[in-house]
Amino acid sequence: MTDRKDFLKAYSGEPLRFMEVCGTHTAEISRNGITELLPPEISLISGPGCPVCVTVTDYIDRLVWLARQPETTVVSFGDLLRVPGSRESLADARADGGSVKMAYSPLDILKMAKSEPKRTYVFAAVGFETTAPVYAVLLENAIAQGIENIRLLTSLKTMPPVIDWVCGNGSRIDGFLAPGHVSVITGSHVFQKLAEKHGLPFVIAGFDGEQLLAAVYTLVKCRGRAGAVNLYRSAVTEEGNKRAQAAVEHFFEPCGAAWRGIGIIPSSGLRLREAYARFDAGSMGLDSDREHNPLCRCAQILTGAQTPVSCPLFGTECTPQHPQGACMVSAEGSCYQYAVHHRKR
Amino acid sequence: MCVAVPGTVISVEGTVAAVDFSGNVVRAEAGLVSVKPGDFVLVHAGCILQVLTKQDHDSLMELLKEIDGS
Amino acid sequence: MKITMAHGSGGKETSGLISEIFAHYFDNPVLARMEDSGIVDGAERIALTTDSFVVTPLFFPGGDIGRLSICGTVNDLLMSGAVPRYLTCGFILEEGADTEVLKRVAQSMAQTANEAGVSIVAGDTKVIEGNGGIYINTAGVGFVRSGIEIGAGNCRGGDAVLVSGELGDHHAAILSARMQIENTIRSDCAPLNDMVEALIKNGIEIHAMRDITRGGLATIAGEFARASGCCIELEEKRLPVNEQVKAFCGILGLDPLYMGNEGKMAVVVAEKDEQRALQCLKESRYGENAAAVGHVTHRENGMVLMKTAIGGTRVVPELMGEGLPRIC
Repeated sequence: MTDRKDFLKAYSGEPLRFMEVCGTHTAEISRNGITELLPPEISLISGPGCPVCVTVTDYIDRLVWLARQPETTVVSFGDLLRVPGSRESLADARADGGSVKMAYSPLDILKMAKSEPKRTYVFAAVGFETTAPVYAVLLENAIAQGIENIRLLTSLKTMPPVIDWVCGNGSRIDGFLAPGHVSVITGSHVFQKLAEKHGLPFVIAGFDGEQLLAAVYTLVKCRGRAGAVNLYRSAVTEEGNKRAQAAVEHFFEPCGAAWRGIGIIPSSGLRLREAYARFDAGSMGLDSDREHNPLCRCAQILTGAQTPVSCPLFGTECTPQHPQGACMVSAEGSCYQYAVHHRKR
Repeated sequence: MCVAVPGTVISVEGTVAAVDFSGNVVRAEAGLVSVKPGDFVLVHAGCILQVLTKQDHDSLMELLKEIDGS
Repeated sequence: MKITMAHGSGGKETSGLISEIFAHYFDNPVLARMEDSGIVDGAERIALTTDSFVVTPLFFPGGDIGRLSICGTVNDLLMSGAVPRYLTCGFILEEGADTEVLKRVAQSMAQTANEAGVSIVAGDTKVIEGNGGIYINTAGVGFVRSGIEIGAGNCRGGDAVLVSGELGDHHAAILSARMQIENTIRSDCAPLNDMVEALIKNGIEIHAMRDITRGGLATIAGEFARASGCCIELEEKRLPVNEQVKAFCGILGLDPLYMGNEGKMAVVVAEKDEQRALQCLKESRYGENAAAVGHVTHRENGMVLMKTAIGGTRVVPELMGEGLPRIC
């Protein structure tokens, strides 16, 4: 590995800009100090890969409203609790008497719903291809066990359409660090197609320091060429998990989805199919992003046109304690990661 | 949010597997994959996403050797 | 028997509770006088501290709220270079608390106090409405050794940073019990007299010393860095973390660097004493897994840096937001 580290350190060719589109990659790049191992010519840019960051305020507002309805509990991953809606976050709603619970798995609500059949449990179903199958399994279980008092408020998103969008609307990107755990489900072929379409290298990698460094090395070596390279072979196959894909397909269908800082991208989301609409907690039409500081640069940051440190609010008006925009809210957001790790690049 | 961790299946009952993570045993849904005791699996949000094949440091290095020449 | 509001009345039930449980287990000449204050011998300089304990569950692998309530206060005294001597304890009991449980807690306190060489010389009990909960406050007095100047502000460039053992055990044990994750992780809850004694007896030049509790090593290193205006540089590869705790953290997305212990400390010593200090810790009770984990430098003053396993460097952020569930 030392030779490859030296190769990267010594790189002095044209500037290269690689984008990662997975929040966990963003966080692990910081945690492993990867950028310190790269020369100034190689930049790693965080794209729209954190599901919490790209969730619009309408969605949060709906959750907050649900948490205050009689006999209703909103259950969420911890990541989403502090995300501000247009007025409040779920954490605010909870402090004010709203019923909000945190869970590590969506499946946890089966037990809750069973023990209190009169109460409706709404899971805040955010996520990408990785998490969508878990919601499908939840619904399979609920139906099999005859549990009817659960609902999903969906804000599910898919990777390929937003990568298309970034390639068409953002700034120049020289390659993508493809999301490792999305790929486990979708398979590497999805990224091979994207690579060919956009004429760029896509490298699928896992999450430890060695995988991340190997991925950057591979991107540099493969620059200028179209193709997907899979470094995460223990988990990612060409076809992905077909059973998971089928489960998602069974319960969900593609729909246009609103992305914070970007707007609506056609067919970039998933919604419950008509046959399962009874499990929906009112997910349609939650498209507006209301609270918006006019100086916030989230849109440009999510698409790679700007870096967090070039935003006029970064570190002054916008901090992890008082986030103004989506990228500062989530622990996997690029601004949050830059702020807490004092990253300059 | 896409955090997933590898563990080893110790037992399976219906669609629920007991998965061991270096001495921590957690129950996970196994409806998306076929698993048996001893399988090395990837778990995300309480659900097994995939059965893993062993990939160690050496096999990554093999892969990188191909890339070195490119 | 269950605790009722009568046990907090100050009447017969209260004195019964005191004599059967507290006076019985904590027995010593000062307490036995049962006056309004315990009167004890003093020293020229004393260290004084207090801590409250509200942990659930009350009993967990490796310890219980009683042992915790002694260790927390004793360790705080030790960290300022004092010899812990006297403790007071206040119990807040919720109606419905079980006296058998209370006995086990008191017994554990007595044992731990004995191990730590302190006497419980005064106490108080209150009963409140509720659901059987038990909460404990302890305050402690220690005699400060002469010629000892320990403070977070005393770290200097070149100093070595050591920890006395594996990180995060207590926190992981408590969370495992609460979340019903099966493992064999045990709390490290322990009084640290022996290792502090060893460092001082061997003439180690100690600059700063803190027990690693809520907020973990990251928080203490941050306190050292800010108070001294230096930089604390840690090395990821050297941080001792039990494999099971590491995997536990992985499952829940936690970082052992921010997880609390109740029987570990971080100590900053003069560069020349690094190896001797490490040996002292390793040979002391509860110190077998001690490790030298980094150095004090002036690279980024006021900050904590981490040299990562892959060879990168990053800033170790302060713990933010509500952090983790309460653990003590």
